[in-house]
Amino acid sequence: MNRRQFFRSTIAAAALMAMPAAAMADTSRIDVYITGDSNIINFWNNIIKPAYEKANPEYTLNVVSARNNIAPIVERTLAALGTDADPQVDIFDENDPNLPKGAIEKGLWVDFSKAGLANYDKLNPVTLETSFGLPYRGTQVVLAYDTTKLSPENAPKTWAELVAWMKANPGQFTHNRPDTGGSGGNFVRRAIHEANGRDPSLFRIDNYVAGESDAMLAKGFELLKEIAPYTYGPGSYTGDNMQSIQLLAQGVVTMVPVWSDMALDAVNKGVLPETTGFTQLTDLAFAGGFADMTVPTNAGNLEATMKLADLVLSPEVQTKVVTEIGAFPAISWDHLPKDLAAKYAAMQPASIPTFPGGPWVSAISDGWFRTVAPHVTR
Amino acid sequence: MSRAELISQRAAGGRLIGLLLVAAPVFLVVALILWPVALAVFDTLTVEGPSGPRFSLDAYRFFFSDEFSLRNLWMTIQVATICTVLLLLLCLPIALYLRFSASRLTGYIQALALFPLFVPSILLAYALIRTLGPNGSVDILLNAVGLPKLPSPYLTPWGPIIGLVWDNLPLTLLIVLAGLSNVSRASIDAARDAGANRFQVLAYIILPRIRGTLLVAASFVILGLFSAFTLPYLLGPAVPEMMGPFMRRTIIEVDDPIQARTQAVVTFLICAIFALFYVRSVARTRREQST
Repeated sequence: MNRRQFFRSTIAAAALMAMPAAAMADTSRIDVYITGDSNIINFWNNIIKPAYEKANPEYTLNVVSARNNIAPIVERTLAALGTDADPQVDIFDENDPNLPKGAIEKGLWVDFSKAGLANYDKLNPVTLETSFGLPYRGTQVVLAYDTTKLSPENAPKTWAELVAWMKANPGQFTHNRPDTGGSGGNFVRRAIHEANGRDPSLFRIDNYVAGESDAMLAKGFELLKEIAPYTYGPGSYTGDNMQSIQLLAQGVVTMVPVWSDMALDAVNKGVLPETTGFTQLTDLAFAGGFADMTVPTNAGNLEATMKLADLVLSPEVQTKVVTEIGAFPAISWDHLPKDLAAKYAAMQPASIPTFPGGPWVSAISDGWFRTVAPHVTR
Repeated sequence: MSRAELISQRAAGGRLIGLLLVAAPVFLVVALILWPVALAVFDTLTVEGPSGPRFSLDAYRFFFSDEFSLRNLWMTIQVATICTVLLLLLCLPIALYLRFSASRLTGYIQALALFPLFVPSILLAYALIRTLGPNGSVDILLNAVGLPKLPSPYLTPWGPIIGLVWDNLPLTLLIVLAGLSNVSRASIDAARDAGANRFQVLAYIILPRIRGTLLVAASFVILGLFSAFTLPYLLGPAVPEMMGPFMRRTIIEVDDPIQARTQAVVTFLICAIFALFYVRSVARTRREQST
């Protein structure tokens, strides 16, 4: 083969490889758009795809990573609504059906409560925020602790018990700075909830008022200043979620707040020892949330996609949600293997409070750094 | 057409090509750096009034009256100064050894000293937590021989200082080494013959020859230290913050772009002083070479 021939054949091969992408939507293809990181993409490719294709050999799953760029794909789907055009999207793995505004009213999203899914009744009611989104994996901030230093029966169950434990064990607790990750961020938010009657409904995305709201936050900061002298360092707040886990793993501290999925993953990988215990506050839990799948009503393969949604909620796949990605299952633990449920009993959420973003984030970051962080320094 | 005309035409063509060649980088610098910087400076110097933007020093007044911001700036200056002094103190002996030793070990030492160049700072940060962090490998070794644990530099200003010194070692060393190549062995031998001891050789022969180089190295390092982000963010204390993490948090978390730009302009002005040192030093070297 001379150079020219080689050049031609390379072009031909490249064109061949580009063809599937250029081709029109395949009638047997289900397009899945993933917002999550590579662990979620792997989960869909390695667990859900083989399971679905085995049960429905006439369809193939096309798992596409959309990362943080999901909005234009949703817009495209909305634009195709009411036309003959196939949006080439069948399901989003993590999407807020409230966006863009008015999409629900226009009938873009499937109402799962009326879709007749066999597994819909198995859903844990605390996970449900809207019937247009189908929760399938969740994460929440919990307290991880070293059971060799603190026995599970003495693990704090309320904010008051937690503070009492910190004061009795100075230097044994730390959390990361609220700007560096949600485990520390939601610990700070839990203190704000505590100082405001443990009522998360006081904090909404649209009700931040400068001055007035800052006074509410300041009450939470006072609680944090009270415990600051008893934190590791004192006042040495770690630089991200993982560093807190690392300090716990190195036996420097006894307890840190963690994201449940990160911590379970760390235990599975041996970063955290098997002797790591988990506890959740029962007077009001730390904030967290569930990933909601959404299905557009104009999906090319709507019926087959609903079968897929049902499969994701099946106890088999939900068990894998816990064991493979360390997330919470969206269905009630009663439907999962008993030993698994027992192992994570302390992490099971009775409620999952949320804290709004927007202007609250700025106020909390600025307030915490200006008042709590300098309160004690090493 | 005469020969002279032809030559001048060719020269004009050459000039044009030359200008075209520099046009691309000049355009990039103007479009991607100077223009955004000008916009940022403009934003910090104006407030939106009813009849369009008007001149105001409010942003700077806030920065220089805000104890929190000033504390962060002061911390950055301190860390940058300490790091620079440590780097020069560390690099000068290594560079002298590498330049004047005939030992076969020099190759290995040079490779070791340049090694940090190839390690991303995020890896370095986590490695330092595992070694110098609390209950890290250093503590384990100390414990094994019955010594008490070290107070860990992690999450104190010394965390980023250690990381930044390690990270900037290769650059500083390379600059100082380049400067030392200007010191001829003959001049040192001559000084030795005249009875100068090692210290006198260093103080009167070597240092005067590389003073400019040391200044250049210091300027370069300081510019890098002021913009340091990863190591202070991961290893430093919550407060005071260095300017890198502070600016990021101000624009992303606190959502205050004007203050973030003000912080950037203040940082930029301080860096500009050191950049001036560097430019003057380069200009002086050029002048010396041309005469």
